[in-house]
Amino acid sequence: MYDKEKDLIGAFLRGEVDRRGLLKGLGAAGLTAGTAGTLFNMMSTQALAADFDWKAHSGKSLKLLLNKHPYADAMIANLQAFKDLTGIEVTYDVFPEDVYFDKVTAALSSSSSEYDAFMTGAYMTWTYGPAGWITDLNEWIKDPAKTNPQYGWDDFLPGVKASCAWNGQPGGALGSEDAKQWCIPWGYEQNNLSYNQEMFEKVGASVPKNLDELVATAAKLNKDVGGGVYGIGVRGSRSWATIHPGFLSGYANFGQKDLNVSEDGKLSAAMNTAESKAFHAKWVQMIQESGPKDWSTYTWYQVGTDLGAGASAMIYDADILGYFMNGGDNKMAGKLAYAPFAANPEAKAPTPNIWIWSLAMSNFAKDKDATWYFLQWASGLEHAIFGATKMDFVNPVRASVWKDEIFRERLNKSYPGYVEMHDVSAPGAKIHFTPQPLFFDLTTEWAATLQKMVAKEVPVDEGLDRLVESIDRQLAEAGLG
Amino acid sequence: METTSPVERLLRGVALTLVVVFFMFPIVWIFLMSFQTNETILRIPPSVVFTPTLENYAALITGKLQTASGTLDIAFMRNLGNSVLLSVASVALALVLGVPAAYAFARHKFRGSEDIAFTLLSFRFAPPLLVLLPLTQYFQWLGLSNTYFGLIWIYQLICLPLILWIVRGYFEDISADVEYAYRIAGHSWFSTFRKIALPLAGPGIAAAGLLAFIFAWNNFVFALVLASADKQPVTVGALAFVTASGIQYGQIAAAIVLSITPTLALALYAQRYLVEGLSLGAVKG
Repeated sequence: MYDKEKDLIGAFLRGEVDRRGLLKGLGAAGLTAGTAGTLFNMMSTQALAADFDWKAHSGKSLKLLLNKHPYADAMIANLQAFKDLTGIEVTYDVFPEDVYFDKVTAALSSSSSEYDAFMTGAYMTWTYGPAGWITDLNEWIKDPAKTNPQYGWDDFLPGVKASCAWNGQPGGALGSEDAKQWCIPWGYEQNNLSYNQEMFEKVGASVPKNLDELVATAAKLNKDVGGGVYGIGVRGSRSWATIHPGFLSGYANFGQKDLNVSEDGKLSAAMNTAESKAFHAKWVQMIQESGPKDWSTYTWYQVGTDLGAGASAMIYDADILGYFMNGGDNKMAGKLAYAPFAANPEAKAPTPNIWIWSLAMSNFAKDKDATWYFLQWASGLEHAIFGATKMDFVNPVRASVWKDEIFRERLNKSYPGYVEMHDVSAPGAKIHFTPQPLFFDLTTEWAATLQKMVAKEVPVDEGLDRLVESIDRQLAEAGLG
Repeated sequence: METTSPVERLLRGVALTLVVVFFMFPIVWIFLMSFQTNETILRIPPSVVFTPTLENYAALITGKLQTASGTLDIAFMRNLGNSVLLSVASVALALVLGVPAAYAFARHKFRGSEDIAFTLLSFRFAPPLLVLLPLTQYFQWLGLSNTYFGLIWIYQLICLPLILWIVRGYFEDISADVEYAYRIAGHSWFSTFRKIALPLAGPGIAAAGLLAFIFAWNNFVFALVLASADKQPVTVGALAFVTASGIQYGQIAAAIVLSITPTLALALYAQRYLVEGLSLGAVKG
């Protein structure tokens, strides 16, 4: 039964037929979507198992620590496939994002062996790695006996993969030859423009192409849309998270850096160059003229909620935040569009700073080999395709998922400009911060300085000079400067 | 005899109304929000006119939450149950241990009594995170991590000092002569404690128990660090509505209404004890 269909799926899994051909063939054979899905999953599992002993750790059990996030939901929805494939039992704890990293830090700092693997951001591994709380995954990735030959480590987007690897030296380049792979990228966010098409059309605004146009367009929208709608939403709370999205993406596009690294490895602040001061001045002007009234309290949630509710005309923030706001019961669902954004008119392409939800292995894991089986399955192509086409596992970190026609069509249909935005930005997408142990403290101080500038408590030039002075002092005290 | 003019009465009424409206507004607003969808809550400008819906409560009770990224499973009712279990059991244990101890500290002066009492009070001084990380390791070694028993034990850091020190004050305020008279009539020490001291300090014990319950109910960090997701109280569980794909304001409001209901009901029931208990020390000479 279903022999022809199995042959067709087998041909697809061997790369002889594309996904469109597969679906057409299955449709012609009269298979319902449900039956085709079941058959496909069964064949995928068989294909995965073909050249690799997935049952090597059968009977063992793992426990995961997960953040409440669509990526985790997609994994949980597909988890039975991993259990069937490996015979490994998996349990998990899901915690809300507000307390998630407190839970992770508490578990790791107390050397708890309760969790074998967990979700993390790449920035956090700059603390966890040197502290000895997580494992360098190169040991497993590079071992053909422990990694499925079809895993496709080269399929990961290079900037994203490199951003999860650091040699542990303050100021050391991410993804360097001697870097340790502290985590495996799972899903990631670029920072670009998400905007309300209706509002743009209403006032006759076009999508801005550089920072000057962004400032002017935001001001026009602020003035002309009416109904209390403001021009542009960006984050503003006293947190490192205010710096890392749109702000750093635009800043890096002008070739500006957070820190300088000298030849002898010493770090010094780099925010008081003429170009940096000019960028800061325009950014501050944009918020003062066209930002939300209580900008200094704005986090991910407020920026997104305002766009979804029609209180703001556009955001320069995570692309997936705009993606989420275009669905569900948001008032503006279906009215949003997306565009790549290069702040520097002389830049060839955008250089978005990125946030990467990744998977890391606890150094206190009870069975690291079995844990690696889970990590390679969860970051594997099959699960990425499942998540991207059936769940909200966006943005995927594998190049081949971005080539998948069904995935691209799905995005193009409901999220205008999203795919193009990603394709244009992906080559320049990476973490633009300098990895070092004082990352959270120094970046939070940067955000606090930005708040003072917007509140007109300090002029931009003077504020940046003071910030540089303070950061240099802290780096010197920590033996880094 | 003092008389109040109608104007004064009117002004007093207006002032009282303003104060009540000012303090009750957030609670009333949250109550109204709990019957609205996210879309109506986020209307610009906000309005009190809306078509009420029970879908927020339905989502909490059924455990299925509709978001921009699909249906999410939420464990709010389990969180609520955990809060009830942890708070009730912790306060009950603290009363069983703390009330006799408070009586002993109040009535019997023995060597080191003040030091022991102060040591117990000092549990309230230590920042929770300072003790929680080493405790995580001890709990793992003892097999207590991720157990209700372990959590109830740790909750004694909140409840026991509170009950012991408040109830001790009430016992000290009760005249010892009443107890001596009962003892002279041939009754035992335990019988005196049970029949005389406990009933007289009853309002104080109720007040201390209620305060301890509120503190235990509001605790956040102990279960977060020491237990798995299935044993988290409502204070942690309520954060599940703040997701990457948006904030579910309606469900948060409904969750607040449901989570303050047990404490509110208990406070209303115990109100007369609470007032009597809290003012007991103040009126006695």
